[in-house]
Amino acid sequence: MNNMRVRVAFVLLAGLLPAAQELCAQDNAAPLRAREAARMEVLQRIAPTVVCVMAADGQGGGSGVLISADGYAVSNFHVTSACGHFMKCGLNDGRVYDAVIVGLDPTGDVALIKLLGRDDFPFATPGDSDQVQVGQEVMALGNPFLLAADFSPTVTYGIVSGIHRYQYPANTFLEYTDCIQIDASINPGNSGGPLFDIQGRWIGINGRASFEKRGRVNAGAAYAISVRQVLLFVDHLKCGLIVDHGITSFTTATADDGRTLVSQVSEVSEAWRRGLRPQDELISFADRSIGSANDFQNILGIFPEGTRLPLTWRNPMGVQSATIRLQPLHAFQDVPQLPGEKPSRPDEPQELQLDELAPAAKVPDALAGLFEERSGFANYYFNKLRTRELLEPLQASLRSGQPAAADAAAATSPPARPTWILQLTAAGNTADQPAAAAAELVVGEAGAGYSIGNRDWYQPAKQPVPENEPPSLYGLLTAALQWQRLLTHTDAAFDEVVAQGQVRHLPSGQVVRVLLTREGTRTARWYFADGSPLPVGVDVQFVEGADEARVMFADWQTTAPPGVPWPERIGVIQADSEQITWLRVSGLEVRQPDQKQAASASGPPAPAAPASTRPSPATTSSSGATP
Amino acid sequence: MRRIGLSLSRSLLLAGGTGLFAAASVTVAEPFTQAVTGTTPAAIQLPAAAGTSAADTTGRSMARSQLETAQQSVVKLFGAGVGNLDSYGSGVLISPEGHVLTVWNHLINTGYLTAVTHTGRRYAVRVVGTSRDHDLAVLQLQAEPDQKFPHIDLSRSVEADAGASVMGFSNMFHVATGNEPVSVVHGTIAIRAPLQAGQGRWQLPVKTPVLIVDAVTNNSGAAGGLLTLTDGTPVGLIGREIRQQDSQTWVNYAVPLTTLAPIADGIRSGRPPEPAAASTAPPPQLSDRQLTARFGITLLPNVVERTPAWIDAVASNSPAAQAGLRRGDLIVLLDDDVIASVTDVQQQLAARRPGQRVSITISRQQQLLSVELRIP
Repeated sequence: MNNMRVRVAFVLLAGLLPAAQELCAQDNAAPLRAREAARMEVLQRIAPTVVCVMAADGQGGGSGVLISADGYAVSNFHVTSACGHFMKCGLNDGRVYDAVIVGLDPTGDVALIKLLGRDDFPFATPGDSDQVQVGQEVMALGNPFLLAADFSPTVTYGIVSGIHRYQYPANTFLEYTDCIQIDASINPGNSGGPLFDIQGRWIGINGRASFEKRGRVNAGAAYAISVRQVLLFVDHLKCGLIVDHGITSFTTATADDGRTLVSQVSEVSEAWRRGLRPQDELISFADRSIGSANDFQNILGIFPEGTRLPLTWRNPMGVQSATIRLQPLHAFQDVPQLPGEKPSRPDEPQELQLDELAPAAKVPDALAGLFEERSGFANYYFNKLRTRELLEPLQASLRSGQPAAADAAAATSPPARPTWILQLTAAGNTADQPAAAAAELVVGEAGAGYSIGNRDWYQPAKQPVPENEPPSLYGLLTAALQWQRLLTHTDAAFDEVVAQGQVRHLPSGQVVRVLLTREGTRTARWYFADGSPLPVGVDVQFVEGADEARVMFADWQTTAPPGVPWPERIGVIQADSEQITWLRVSGLEVRQPDQKQAASASGPPAPAAPASTRPSPATTSSSGATP
Repeated sequence: MRRIGLSLSRSLLLAGGTGLFAAASVTVAEPFTQAVTGTTPAAIQLPAAAGTSAADTTGRSMARSQLETAQQSVVKLFGAGVGNLDSYGSGVLISPEGHVLTVWNHLINTGYLTAVTHTGRRYAVRVVGTSRDHDLAVLQLQAEPDQKFPHIDLSRSVEADAGASVMGFSNMFHVATGNEPVSVVHGTIAIRAPLQAGQGRWQLPVKTPVLIVDAVTNNSGAAGGLLTLTDGTPVGLIGREIRQQDSQTWVNYAVPLTTLAPIADGIRSGRPPEPAAASTAPPPQLSDRQLTARFGITLLPNVVERTPAWIDAVASNSPAAQAGLRRGDLIVLLDDDVIASVTDVQQQLAARRPGQRVSITISRQQQLLSVELRIP
């Protein structure tokens, strides 16, 4: 009996002991298991967003990441340039999707493509790459060495080794600015793929690595384009453009004492006109402080050309500030070719290209319409789409007031524009006009005029020059001439109309879409905010070496008379101060051109058939008189 | 137009001389660069308030303050490079007065060493002492007497073992210039063992155990960097890029600071380092008379322990004269071998056979030049 009990006790005890040991081990491993479980859960969420990018014949390629449910995906330019206009993309559901090139940023090595066939693609959620810190854990997903036969991405783990890193162009135009340096294993095939933080937020695009003595395999230092830079370009890329980076019209150098000084300033530049001079000390650019010339380059490198950015600097008279528009860096007309890359120094970082691919296979017929070749564009088809998205609501809001005949203007050269007469009130806070006063703005085919009191100014439409603008309302007349063109004949009034992405408008701070129009030597950038078919502003570059006309429109009135929408307020942006001088518009009178007058096309036409309105608070319907 | 600013910045860096940099810090983007987003559903989400840990989850975290201290204790070293030699490296500050620990490399002898700290400020550097047996040099930044530098305390270094999580701090691939922080990588100590490895003619002289790391800590520019545990405790001085003798594979190693600390202390206090335990017969060397007679070179009299190899006279029509050597030249390198003294010249030339061509790198009037000499 005793024996039995002891044996049973022994068996029971023996059964317990291993469990007890396991329990101890579990306690030590519990935090590690929790981390692992969290990591695996994150990977479940993000792995479906990673794209294996391949040329149409299935050869070679790299990686990419989906950024929206309709199929837009980001990769590297050096990946897609080897693939042609159409490519094949594998996702970790094992399926292959067709994709078409949308937009390119060759200098920044970014490409936007669109996967086709679904409107519910899983997509990555961006984090804030400016919040990334050294030492933080990251995960890189992609297709190094093309290992993923089933397109499930390879995952590598590491930490952030450095931030705001600058990578010199290595015998190509590719320049990586403000990048995130990581020690996660990055190899050829990872290019274009996403970098995630440990919570699964997309923070970068892997594209370069330092290769040296160990050959073209991971050596512990790789570089990712920051998601902030990618997002500053993505709307330009969606417009099918070859997007350029920007330069300033001044150069910088780090002085011995650590200050960043201006070396040279172009005397015909906006910066010069705002007072920037050599030896001035730069303080901040795009709201980021400048610690060195390298910092300046890093800040500059993340913006598309044409972006207007704030700049502050110190000169003997104190701290100055202004905004300047970035000029094009390369002005690519066509997609540039990447030379076979040979770095000049063995330890300079290199792209993670796989070996050259066979030429692109035949484009599937069903997709051919999604690509349109045109000089200056990565894929003109998408620019047409984006331009239509801006023009159609605009045209609809114009049609609501106009007689049907005006619509027929599109096909043939448009008829002469009517004359507009706007009654304005100038607020009177300028030096040469201290008190509020009534003013008149007249805009017609031949030119525009502004009169207040016994002074007036006239700007001819053919050759507007800065000297003709009223000093305290510089740009009003040139902008008005462009504005009349846009609202009378929309795209038919211009030589070229191009959708140009999105920017932050200065000084208002609004996020706006940009429509660029060209008429003669005048380039106008029209700004459209969400929710309004009519522009919130326009900047017109009309004479090289002179300030742009910068005007804003607010409180558009679209009641049927006078047949064209008009803004209740017009703001003129003062270049030196970035202050807005607002004019209140009390009414717009439209005078149709006389046929005879139209033929001679000189001077403002005599009033023939006025269809005018001067709305007073009590009036709700038209009070037009017919002759 | 756009790159002028950068090249000026780099050339200022390499020009040597002392300079004062204001402590500059780069603040991260403020509202203007908030990305412009349109109709894509992907909107910028700011993360939850960043904690003090460098990693977001437990286990491998390193407190931000410790990480910054470690980064600030590593300086970026620059010198004039020639041919395929690195023109940069790393070093670890070990005292508030600016003493720096680094590997004993060719930069030491050129005389053009500049150190750049985390503030971006440049300092001239003087060599306090070296120990070839430990592949070690102790330098000091030339600074104002009351200047205090962030540094690591060598007495706090510990013995680390296989399995320990470590962080490496160095200027690998010369990514950091000016006030940019050095790069940080993570890894694990794979083993602590004696290492037989080298590169070209150079063999790692350290015979005591070193730390082998499973991460690529040793890259161009990383030698002289700092290896720490994840709590910031210093453990090693990152070594060179060398290959293990038998497998000829690249090996990432760091010399334990517990090994180097007494040597460094000795150098700083003026005591010569311990001689190597097992001494072999001294290598053959040419005498002064042989140098003059065969080569036409007369060097400075070898009166102190390490007399620099200054050329005092060059006989006309001699091999040295034909090669282009002149009085006043300082011999710095013979092929890839660093020349630290007259003795080095005597030994290195004795090791060459007649007819061989040797590349001699000299320092002449602040410039490094290479000439070719045919061994007579």
